[in-house]
Amino acid sequence: MLGRREDDRGGSAGPSAVLVTFATAVLAGAAGIILAGLAAWVWVGAITFGGAYLASRTSRGVKAESPLKARRLLLMLDRGGSQEAKAPVEFTEEWGTLYERLNKMALEARTSSTALAELERFRQQANLAASILRDGKDPLTEAPELRVGPLQSLLEGIKSAASTPVVSRLPLGEEELIGTDGEGLPPTWPKPTGESSPRGPAIAEGVARGLRNLVQDLEALGATLGGEGRRPTTPGGENPDLRSPAQLVDAVVLTAADGIEDLAAGLMRANELASVAERVTNRATLLALNAALEATRSGSEAFAAIAEETRRLAEFAREATDTISRLASEIEYKVGETITAIHATSEHAKTSLAEMSGAATPLPASARSARAQIGKLLDRARELQRALNTPSSDRVGGDPMAGPNSVQEHVENDPPPADKLPAEGILLIEGLKPGARLES
Amino acid sequence: MNMNLGTRGALTFRLGDFSFAVRVEEAGGVLDAERLAHLPCVAESVAGVAAFRGEMVPVVDLAVYLGIETQGLPGPRYALVLTRGVDRFALLIPEIPKLVLGRDLREAPASAVDPELGELFESELETDQDHFHCLNYWKIFESMIPPSGAAGPGRSSTERGN
Repeated sequence: MLGRREDDRGGSAGPSAVLVTFATAVLAGAAGIILAGLAAWVWVGAITFGGAYLASRTSRGVKAESPLKARRLLLMLDRGGSQEAKAPVEFTEEWGTLYERLNKMALEARTSSTALAELERFRQQANLAASILRDGKDPLTEAPELRVGPLQSLLEGIKSAASTPVVSRLPLGEEELIGTDGEGLPPTWPKPTGESSPRGPAIAEGVARGLRNLVQDLEALGATLGGEGRRPTTPGGENPDLRSPAQLVDAVVLTAADGIEDLAAGLMRANELASVAERVTNRATLLALNAALEATRSGSEAFAAIAEETRRLAEFAREATDTISRLASEIEYKVGETITAIHATSEHAKTSLAEMSGAATPLPASARSARAQIGKLLDRARELQRALNTPSSDRVGGDPMAGPNSVQEHVENDPPPADKLPAEGILLIEGLKPGARLES
Repeated sequence: MNMNLGTRGALTFRLGDFSFAVRVEEAGGVLDAERLAHLPCVAESVAGVAAFRGEMVPVVDLAVYLGIETQGLPGPRYALVLTRGVDRFALLIPEIPKLVLGRDLREAPASAVDPELGELFESELETDQDHFHCLNYWKIFESMIPPSGAAGPGRSSTERGN
């Protein structure tokens, strides 16, 4: 069987082997050509992409950004002003440098400006806005600087409130009470949207009034915190208007004690002069005695008369000197008693004042005054916020003609909870805190 | 003038609880004794020397010599100058003496004499309010400073200062 198989193989292998060999050689050549082409294309692509990458890298510094991207990056620049702020990932190269520079400038501007300067800037803007509102004009249109200040949101709210019919929470007039007791509303109320609402100017007037009060309070706060040096002061540098009752008592006691000490010094001088007068009187007495002695020894009546006059003169001087010394001693004793009584009275007065105020050591008058003014300021700000909150929250679903009952349901007299303060009120209140950033 | 008293008057002064008198015939004057010049090596009762009308006068502290305690703080002192011929000395007293005229003085009875004064006692004068001892002041002075020509210094038995 094996021999027959080999025979079979040898008899049929001649032409097929040549064909197979030829086909293999052709395929190998074709595969080599294809691989060589692919490798060439890979190299060409790599060189192309590398060149493109290098070109993009070298041309990025001078390449202009698209307007939309540049606007977005400019908006992001305004987020600076913090020491921990890092350049966002969108910023590279020059944009990152610019961001860091602007962030540094904003940080320096923020840290170098004091609370008083911010308060003064805010006060000027509020004063300007109030004056424009008094003239019945739009502050945002008349004063472009108000568009970027802390009052921007506030004034926009005023503008929108003046042009939109609303039901205010504030007691703005008798018409607010219409319908609250079940009576029907007038057929002409509320007015159509196209007409100007009568509450708009009322709200604006209320806000303007609140702004005026705010300006006055801010001026008082600025004068208290930073204007003490401009007030008339005593020669000692202390403002008499800001002294506490205990300090006033001390000042009165010190003044009285100074006067009494001057009096005591005068009395000491008088005592010295009295002692001198006493020595002179002693001399006169000795002179009179010696004269009387000689007159007695000599028996001369004329000499005795002169000696007698000398003796009377010496006695008169003695009496006068004794009277002066006694009066000086009495006055000195009474001065000492008065000083003791004044000190005791001042201590009693200070103790009583401390008990009345409920504290052993009362707060400085300037601190109490500043605290009270800040409290009033926050009250004004909250009132203003409530006035501005009403138009934005009490609008009747955008349709003021929905019906009288739906409008009446939104009439509220209670103030909103503190946790629901609108953004304008929070901004205003935060802006009044010392050191707060007032820029929008 | 009480001629029976033998004096025109007397200078009186108090020393402690006692009152003394110096007849005006013996008195030369009264001066301020605030500034005395102290002498060394003298008896304790010799207070020093003072100037009286241009002369130096020894001053005797009578209270120290008699052993009389004077109360109160040390104040102004005065010297009552006694004269006998050209000799002078002064008694240191704590107050200005008072001149009592002779018409107001009279001799006190002998029973009123203080026995402690002994040989120094000479006489006693009195007024309506008080009585005064007149002593032999020169004897006191000579017991401390003997006159020139006398036989050495020595203190008599009447010296009571120590």
